[in-house]
Amino acid sequence: MPVALIGLSHNTGAPVALREQIAFTTPGALERALRRLRASLGDACEIVLLSTCNRTELYVAAPEEIPAGTLADALLAARDTPLGADLHPFLAERRGHRAAEHLFRVTAGLDSMILGETDILRQVKEAYSTAADAGVCGRVLNPLFHEALRVSKRARTETDMGRGAFSIGHAAAEVARNIFGAGQGRTVLLLGAGKMSETTARHLTAAGATSVLVANRTFDRAARLAETLNGRAIHYDQFASHLARTDIVIASTAAPHPVVTKAMVADALRHRRHRDPLFFIDIAVPRDVEAEVGDLPDVFLYNIDDLRRLVDEDLAERRQRAARAEAVVREEALAFAARQRIAQTAAPLVSSMRAKMRTNTEAELVRLRQRLSHLTDDDWRAIEASFAAVENRMLHDPTAKIKEYAAAPDPEHVAARMEMVRELFGLEPSSGADVE
Amino acid sequence: MTGSAAVLGLTELFYLIGAVLLGANLFLRRSALLVTGRGAAIAGVVLHTVSIGLRCAELHRAPFTTPGESLSLLAWVVALAYLGTEALWRLSAAGPFALGLSFLLVLLGAASRSAGTEAGGANAQLLASNAISLHITATIAAVAAFALAFCCGALYLIEHHILKSKHGLTWMKRLPPLRTVETAAFTLVAVGFPLLTLGILSGLVRALGGGLPHGWQTDPKALLAYTVWAVYGAYLLARLALNWPPVRTSYVLLVGLVLCLLLFLVPSAAHRFG
Repeated sequence: MPVALIGLSHNTGAPVALREQIAFTTPGALERALRRLRASLGDACEIVLLSTCNRTELYVAAPEEIPAGTLADALLAARDTPLGADLHPFLAERRGHRAAEHLFRVTAGLDSMILGETDILRQVKEAYSTAADAGVCGRVLNPLFHEALRVSKRARTETDMGRGAFSIGHAAAEVARNIFGAGQGRTVLLLGAGKMSETTARHLTAAGATSVLVANRTFDRAARLAETLNGRAIHYDQFASHLARTDIVIASTAAPHPVVTKAMVADALRHRRHRDPLFFIDIAVPRDVEAEVGDLPDVFLYNIDDLRRLVDEDLAERRQRAARAEAVVREEALAFAARQRIAQTAAPLVSSMRAKMRTNTEAELVRLRQRLSHLTDDDWRAIEASFAAVENRMLHDPTAKIKEYAAAPDPEHVAARMEMVRELFGLEPSSGADVE
Repeated sequence: MTGSAAVLGLTELFYLIGAVLLGANLFLRRSALLVTGRGAAIAGVVLHTVSIGLRCAELHRAPFTTPGESLSLLAWVVALAYLGTEALWRLSAAGPFALGLSFLLVLLGAASRSAGTEAGGANAQLLASNAISLHITATIAAVAAFALAFCCGALYLIEHHILKSKHGLTWMKRLPPLRTVETAAFTLVAVGFPLLTLGILSGLVRALGGGLPHGWQTDPKALLAYTVWAVYGAYLLARLALNWPPVRTSYVLLVGLVLCLLLFLVPSAAHRFG
């Protein structure tokens, strides 16, 4: 069964307004869509629907090729509500090994808006497991998605594609990991309760920070944010007294002048045990932390520009690694296509060759039984085993050769060789097995 | 060439391979390099253990009576201590330093033997004293711990510079976290310092028992050992009581290692067993 893909993403030019409309991201939407797709495309079809904020892609394996228009209509009809926009100019279609290669690229993060991001891996896994749970995956899409997850892992491991910072918050968490290590309980103090400091704090808590303090001019807002972060709100005018017991400070107030001074930090350092490092993340503009704070020993001060530069450096490095990851994906896609060709063309041919040989052998054995009726059951078992061994030996080399022919990249060449083998062994003519 | 010397030659090769592979891993970040480097370090330590055992059997005495043998023993303890820190803190970044140091120490030991400075244990009966055995073993183990603490101190200074300057942070990802390196340095000194104290005390006990050359009280090696003890004592005091910043205490570790090397290289009449 050939695999077809139809879908849209930021890379097909689909604007965000359209991407968010078509996305099947509400609870239960994906399951309902899969049921509708199965109903419209037929029970013999295998279906996986990958839908994220940046892409919606329909993977289908069907006994007969389904036109792109039919797939697009089925995708639109799978929605809970009609789409009030024209989808067709933004749809991309891929078939056969190109569909497989695309899925490998997507899963490896090579097609992502943020190159190399790892969220997509989880999203592909979820899309596949939803389809598997719904019973709409089978012998074609199961191996394809398993392979995509394996290839993604290989590409990421061999090229370090997933490493580095993807955002300001991520960059701050990376620097914190360089200073304190992962999985170590650290205290984070948030000065200001803005969205960016919250995001950064979430990255840090994910990286091992266990205690969060929030100080904001409006105490209620600090309390609300502290609650969402499982932290504790403190009064803004008391934050200086908490610096000595803090490891990481995220400053993002709207103050027009620095709120953290060198004298304040120097005083806090005198009261710290074993002079643990102190890390300031100043993401406020204008800056919240005096630049001179960075001159103090074992105090590390990173402002928004420093963190942005880290993100840019990591992106540049990921772009270099992406070229290597692309090569891994291409190599794996070719190997997968070759294995598919073997499965689709060589396997039926080998089994019909073996069946013909078996039929001839059994006919010969019947004749022998009539002529040599004096032989015992043990003798016949030995003769049958010998015949089977001869069969296997005779078919070993042709089987290997057929698999070799089937792995060739050119479909016409493969078809010609398969026809030659059929003629050679007097097998039934080709039923038009797909060699894509 | 004796059996122990042949195995020691192989050991040297494995230390060098380990240092090179772990060093390459810092730049290339390939898990194959890390695994092979660790394997080479383990193979080096195992072969070194065999070599020391063979040397014992060949000489029928403890194999640390000469400067060459002491250096070889020190190299073994440094490599062994590195494997310990690797297991405890995943400090593979210290591998190139530690295994490189072990390689150099074995090389220096071999050079010392071929230069004919080895006398061969004529006074080996001196080593029958428990105090002397304890003196040598504890001192060598202490110096090995200090050598590794130096590796951690050097790493700390490099990482501190990178984090302060904000340049080369991509490279920093290949190194252990700053806090881990500082903790490892402190723990190694905290282990090494009592060992050195034990080494010095057991040496004094043996010296007071008599039989040493006149003027052993002012023996350069003994005086240097007191200085090393004072330097690492000062490190612990600064770290635990004076609240010195780690960047300053790391420099103390650098000074300490230079003194430790001098401790092994300085000629001494009271410390010749051969």
